Amino acid sequence: MTAMTAILSHPLVRLIAGFVVWSVAFVVLYAAQALGCAYGWGDWHRPILWLLFLLALVPMAWLALLGPRHDHQHALNMAAVWTNRAALLAAVLIFLPVTFASLCQ
Amino acid sequence: MSERPSPIALHKQLEAIWSTPPGLARLSSVNHTILGKRFMALALCFFGIGGLLSMLIRAQMATPDSAFLGPDIYNQVFTMHGTVMMFLFAIPMFEGFAIYMLPKMLGARDLAFPRLTAYGFWCYLFGGSILIVAMLAGVAPNGGWFMYTPLSSKPYTPGINADVWLLGITFVEISAVTAAVELFVTILKMRAPGMALSRMPLFAWYMLVTAGMMIIGFPPLILGSILLELERAFDLPFFDPTRGGDPLLWQHLFWLFGHPEVYIIFLPAAGALSTIIPVFAQRPILGYRAIIAAIVAMAFLSFGLWVHHMFTVGIPHLALAFFSAASALVAIPTAVQIFAWIGTLASGKPRWDIPMLYVAGFFIVFVIGGLTGVMLAMVPFNTQAHDSYFVVAHLHYVLVGGFVFPMLAAIYYWLPHISGRQSLYRLSIPAFWLILIGFNLTFFLMHLTGLMGMPRRISTYPSNWGWDWLNLLSSVGGFVLTMGFALVLADMVLQFRFGARFRRDPWRAGTLEWATATPPPSYNLASIPHIEARADQLQPALIGPTLAGGQGYLGFARAGEQETLGVNMVTGAVEHLITLPRRSYLPLSTALATASFFLALLFRLYWLAPIGALVTLGLFLVWPVSLGEKRDKGPIDIGRGVSVPPDAEAADNVTVLANRTALAMNATLFASLLFGGLFLLVVAPNWQDTGAAQVPLWAAALAILAAMSGAALAARARQGNARGGTTHLDLILAVLAQLAAMATTIAAVLWLDDPTGHAREAVPFVVLGYAGLHCGLGAVMSAHAFWRLTRGYISARRQTEMVLAALWNGYAAGAVILAFGLTGILAMGGAMP
Amino acid sequence: MLYGSVLLFALVMVLFGLAYLRPAWVTRITPSQWIVGGGLVLPIPILVLLTGTALVLGEQLLPKGDAPLRFKAHAERWQWTFIYPDGREMSDETLHIPAGQAVDIAVTSEDVIHSFWVPRLGGKIDAIPGHENLIRLEADEPGTYWGQCAEYCGPGHDGMWFRVQAHAAEDFTALMEGRR
Repeated sequence: MTAMTAILSHPLVRLIAGFVVWSVAFVVLYAAQALGCAYGWGDWHRPILWLLFLLALVPMAWLALLGPRHDHQHALNMAAVWTNRAALLAAVLIFLPVTFASLCQ
Repeated sequence: MSERPSPIALHKQLEAIWSTPPGLARLSSVNHTILGKRFMALALCFFGIGGLLSMLIRAQMATPDSAFLGPDIYNQVFTMHGTVMMFLFAIPMFEGFAIYMLPKMLGARDLAFPRLTAYGFWCYLFGGSILIVAMLAGVAPNGGWFMYTPLSSKPYTPGINADVWLLGITFVEISAVTAAVELFVTILKMRAPGMALSRMPLFAWYMLVTAGMMIIGFPPLILGSILLELERAFDLPFFDPTRGGDPLLWQHLFWLFGHPEVYIIFLPAAGALSTIIPVFAQRPILGYRAIIAAIVAMAFLSFGLWVHHMFTVGIPHLALAFFSAASALVAIPTAVQIFAWIGTLASGKPRWDIPMLYVAGFFIVFVIGGLTGVMLAMVPFNTQAHDSYFVVAHLHYVLVGGFVFPMLAAIYYWLPHISGRQSLYRLSIPAFWLILIGFNLTFFLMHLTGLMGMPRRISTYPSNWGWDWLNLLSSVGGFVLTMGFALVLADMVLQFRFGARFRRDPWRAGTLEWATATPPPSYNLASIPHIEARADQLQPALIGPTLAGGQGYLGFARAGEQETLGVNMVTGAVEHLITLPRRSYLPLSTALATASFFLALLFRLYWLAPIGALVTLGLFLVWPVSLGEKRDKGPIDIGRGVSVPPDAEAADNVTVLANRTALAMNATLFASLLFGGLFLLVVAPNWQDTGAAQVPLWAAALAILAAMSGAALAARARQGNARGGTTHLDLILAVLAQLAAMATTIAAVLWLDDPTGHAREAVPFVVLGYAGLHCGLGAVMSAHAFWRLTRGYISARRQTEMVLAALWNGYAAGAVILAFGLTGILAMGGAMP
Repeated sequence: MLYGSVLLFALVMVLFGLAYLRPAWVTRITPSQWIVGGGLVLPIPILVLLTGTALVLGEQLLPKGDAPLRFKAHAERWQWTFIYPDGREMSDETLHIPAGQAVDIAVTSEDVIHSFWVPRLGGKIDAIPGHENLIRLEADEPGTYWGQCAEYCGPGHDGMWFRVQAHAAEDFTALMEGRR
């Protein structure tokens, strides 16, 4: 966790961290959807997507709950807080269809 | 530096260093003010050409069963209209604007790599010319600006038309790539001291995010173009479904670029709005932090909605749902910005002037475009409206509303800065009404024709379907719109010719560009200020004269050098002194060599192409010759009692950052290629019962081992050098190891079966070729470091070339590992169900 | 969707106008109220409801469940070939289907990408070489419906029309019987 915090101490990294996780989750979920159809994961397909969805939410929720750092970059730190919360909201809403939408049709 | 020269004497001294002489020597200019203006002027020429093409389209569509243009010409016309407006007008226009404006707004004297700016301009000019000449010769691209395969593949477009698009546009995109890297680095590293990121004007924030998006967004398009050209020229089947390719791969690559592209065009325009609106509201922008958050969110979300161009290609509903939801959600950061702008006006003391008239036009047009965009994000509605005139209407509302209206506002706001004169405002008001009414007449009606079922890209339509009068009115509107643009053009000419001169800062703005004299001198600011407040709340009229008097940093001319400052990325604390290269014909000659490469490919002189590429590489290797220091100088006085080391001695200088950025871009291209290979394996038809692409294991092991040794040796050389040791041997060994890796990788490529037979061979062919090429580049970088070392340019403190060698060799090793990895996966993939 | 859009457009325009007219209550709105109210509170519920509804509707339109009659539509430059469920080919680029019941149409392509679109019957689906795409349509009334290629496919794209002839159920059965 300390290495993680060190990287996140860079305000620009903090600014994009939430959405970087969002992007990775997006790619992984989209790939899992396609692979599941191509290789016939059947009944396992949706549970796997559910699991990936929830897994993605963990780091994003952590980032979203992280308060602003207190240094001289106040505007930037506040922008980072909001961006990471926006990323969490985007993840919840955009990935929610894994719970109900048709997987391979 | 104790005695301060008079402002006029200082101006003359600096002008002698920075200015470009008239006449043929203009071809050697690397100055950002000159090049920014050239970019914008050329972009406006292309806007005129694109506009003329749209007039042809509307003339053709005005009446049913029209025989004005046949389908052959019409297809070229609409393809070129889209291509010119997107690639030759919109992107270069904002690039030129940013090139011109950013250094002035940030308090730098030029961009980080002035010669690269010039090279980018020549690539843009030559690439654009290829397209226009082809059009005049009647062989313009005719496959639509989106160039869908297989229509644009060899069997269905046997002529040169599609090659013109692929090669011309890729040539032009070099300018986008160089501009992206350069703007990104300049914004992060070359601001006035004290301008922390959290004090940066919003326009710079918008451009920083735009440049970041270009770094990720353009590589997929460039890769797609390379693959399609390889298919057309050498029959490698990436998009041919009968041989394991898939037309959908092109669509994914194209729209992975194509949708972020819309936001890449919108964000600079929104940046201009965020600069203009507070000036006329007479209060600082509302929600500075919220806007930063919104544009970052927008940038990422815009990469998650490319499939909404592909809702009808037969993708499962869940995948559509991701992209549909992302397309809808991207409206939220847009709404945040819209309401921040309205709120700024509402809580300020707004005054009305010509730029605000066009801002009002932006609100009207863009909001409609945004609302139809949300409609199109809904899958059931999209499958009905897709590829109908409804989409034509939507995209013009978004692009004209989101780019052209803000651009017109920006022209009326900033043209005085360029011309040194103020408009007399006779023509801008009727021009506005003509444009607004003409635009809405043309495009609002297209919503209706689209909903009535009129598909896009048909050259004629029968008269009995009720589309006639709507189309006629659209055409009339189109001509009204053109008259409006003609008036704006006339107004601009009149302003340059007869406008009234003015003193600094006519609008009472808050940003630094108005602190320069107008028109701006070649060096921008005679001295660089220390910024102590948010840099969109300055008082340029007060700062300007003190800076002209040399009271800031670098308020002197030193030894004929072009000097500016490098700062800490985040805090804006001054870190080093940057010495920029002087004007040179190298960018032009390098661009000409590059042009020979592209023309050789276009005319199928395949023996000439490698020569053109090698000459280009050779010329690029000449670029650094004039740069660098042969001794450690230590801190140098920059005025105001501060001394900082030169950039050669700074660990974190712009060259290193630019190479990291370029590698990130390169990695995106490679990642898109790997994605493409896996996509074909999983989705493409006709992959059953094909023999596996076998590369001998020993070759893979040897290549990986050699490339990793090259990377390790280059890294060891870097560390050894930083400790003050001798590193000649390490570098030579690194070169040899990387050459061995290249040779083995190429041998592995030759081992493959005929790559034209099936995508299973074609993909490893390209992937391994890419890896081999990067081993070669790694060797070149190590050799370059060795050469600079022997010439005395490298010391324990001056280590830039060593860092670059380590970076590129590390990248090459990674590429080799991944390339053989993908080859292995494709070989095993045949065994899977 | 249309009325909502008109309303939102009017709202933004009125606010823009008010910014210049500056009645007292507008100047009292705080920055965070502008951003949170206009940027978050206003759009989020609308977008969530709209997208949710569209996704549910989209699910209902999918060709799944009981397999109804399955026709084939094959595109090549620049004409359509339609095939009855029993494998026989139809003539003159006319697709004959029964009215009042959902039918599936499997769309394929010979050469480049085309798109199958009958505006009055529903959405479009692309005909992509190497792929087979399925679309479910239903004609409520017997009659003739025009269809067209909606994906640009080269010089003959503007002439790539076709007809869908929807027959009353008993007529369609008779048609199928009669041809046997």
